[in-house]
Amino acid sequence: MTRTIIQIFLVCLLVGFCFNSCNNSPTSGDSKKKVAIVVSTLNNPWFVFLAETAAAQVRDLGYESKIFDSQNNTALETEHFENALASGYNAILFNPTDADGSVANVRRAKDANVPVFCMDREVNTTDGATSQILSDNYSGCVALGKYFVQSLRKKGKYVELLGLVNDNNTWNRSKGFHSVVDNYPELKMVAQQSADFDRNKAMEVLESILQAHPDIDAVFCGNDAMASGAYQALTAAGKTNVKVFGFDGAEDVIEAIRSGKIEATGMQFPQLIAEHAAIFADEYFKGKRDFATKMPVAVELVTKKNVDNYLAYGKKEEVQAQP
Amino acid sequence: MDENIIQKSQMRNKVIKYFLLIVLIAFLGYKSVYFRKLDDVKAASSSKAFNATTFARNFYDNKLLLRADSAVDLGALISLLRSEPGQAFNKYSNALAIGNIRYFLVRGEGRITSIGDYATAIELAGQSVKTNINIATEFVYGNAIRDASGLLKLNDFSNTADFNSISENINSIVRNEVLPGFVAKSKPGIGVKFAGAIELNEKYLAIDSIEVIPIRISVLD
Repeated sequence: MTRTIIQIFLVCLLVGFCFNSCNNSPTSGDSKKKVAIVVSTLNNPWFVFLAETAAAQVRDLGYESKIFDSQNNTALETEHFENALASGYNAILFNPTDADGSVANVRRAKDANVPVFCMDREVNTTDGATSQILSDNYSGCVALGKYFVQSLRKKGKYVELLGLVNDNNTWNRSKGFHSVVDNYPELKMVAQQSADFDRNKAMEVLESILQAHPDIDAVFCGNDAMASGAYQALTAAGKTNVKVFGFDGAEDVIEAIRSGKIEATGMQFPQLIAEHAAIFADEYFKGKRDFATKMPVAVELVTKKNVDNYLAYGKKEEVQAQP
Repeated sequence: MDENIIQKSQMRNKVIKYFLLIVLIAFLGYKSVYFRKLDDVKAASSSKAFNATTFARNFYDNKLLLRADSAVDLGALISLLRSEPGQAFNKYSNALAIGNIRYFLVRGEGRITSIGDYATAIELAGQSVKTNINIATEFVYGNAIRDASGLLKLNDFSNTADFNSISENINSIVRNEVLPGFVAKSKPGIGVKFAGAIELNEKYLAIDSIEVIPIRISVLD
């Protein structure tokens, strides 16, 4: 009799334990989920801000996060993906190194049923990433193009410094700019060269271009790091009247616009991009599957006239107020 | 003597062997490589590609102009933006991108007050408070018209470049077909009727510098 009671008690205990585990499993599972943040480079403060904001948002949502730096190297990026998948990461927030070269990594994650949310840079496939949250580079550079034409009063010689040639952002920015500027035949582009989104390289490239074209009126740069490098080269050559245009909304360029050293930039919102990527991962964990394949994020034109409205990287006031 | 004959025979066989080998390699090489004009290749690939010009023309003629007929009156929109901006944005704006920039499809009537390098200033008709807006006559670029309509979605297109090329072609229609007639007849005091798109920053609202990118515009007098 005692034995039967003990057996019934043990069965009840087991059933109760099972029910309890089943009811608690989504919550306990969510709290253990891990999100990898793979970024193209941490050698540029813009991407540092993007990665750290994403990591902070992931942690705020109750998940673990780790940042992987690809150092603009697709092979290293592949290693990070392999490590993340082998280590059991449940989602990847991804800033690709190469629009074509990164496709295989995204597909590898998809095959492993790990969702990938692209941040700021896109990959050239529509069936790889769960969603791609991207700055509207084209529209941002249309606005910059209009301002460029007005600033130069429809005529002059200019140089264009392109970013990484394998990155879609490079060409979307260039196309947006040229969709306006090419309609003005008296605006002549005397040189168009890549400086890989890099400040030092931009300085070197422009120094070289200035040897052949010392009489330029403006430089259009595919990002703010290159705009800072271009401004440095122009200052060193004593050409302080050449107008420089950037794209990003980096801290030093916002200050340079305020002090009249740089004409304008396109303000991107990495905080918005990173937060949305983390929120999308959270929604995915909770069962959502119908994500927009591409989600553009608006870019705003920043000039001396409206620069006081903006903080670097499009940060919200409360973020800037923190120490 | 016999050795010489044997050597010559071996030599001849070698020559024949090498000759046949060269013919075979040349034949395989000829068959595995072929040349086509780059222009022909580009033409073939573009014929398969998305035709933005045709798409934009159909969209402009058959959808956009119809949608413009039911657009919000600009004077009424400006009043609502002044009193309840949140409601105005929720009810009438469209945007494909997340962020502060949003677009409105509007229509209205007014009278030309001045003509500038890049825009024509118009005082809106029937307003209790004097309301001036600008009609863009120079910078008709970007995605304002496409996105203000709310009729097209990015994810219906395979790539962003195709989607942006729709805007380029719509803008081209406006610059080449809509604006020249209006600019030629414009002078201060003349009445105008218009439909178009406006872009506003929801966070930094600038009601006093509204610029309409026209879709359709005509002089009334």
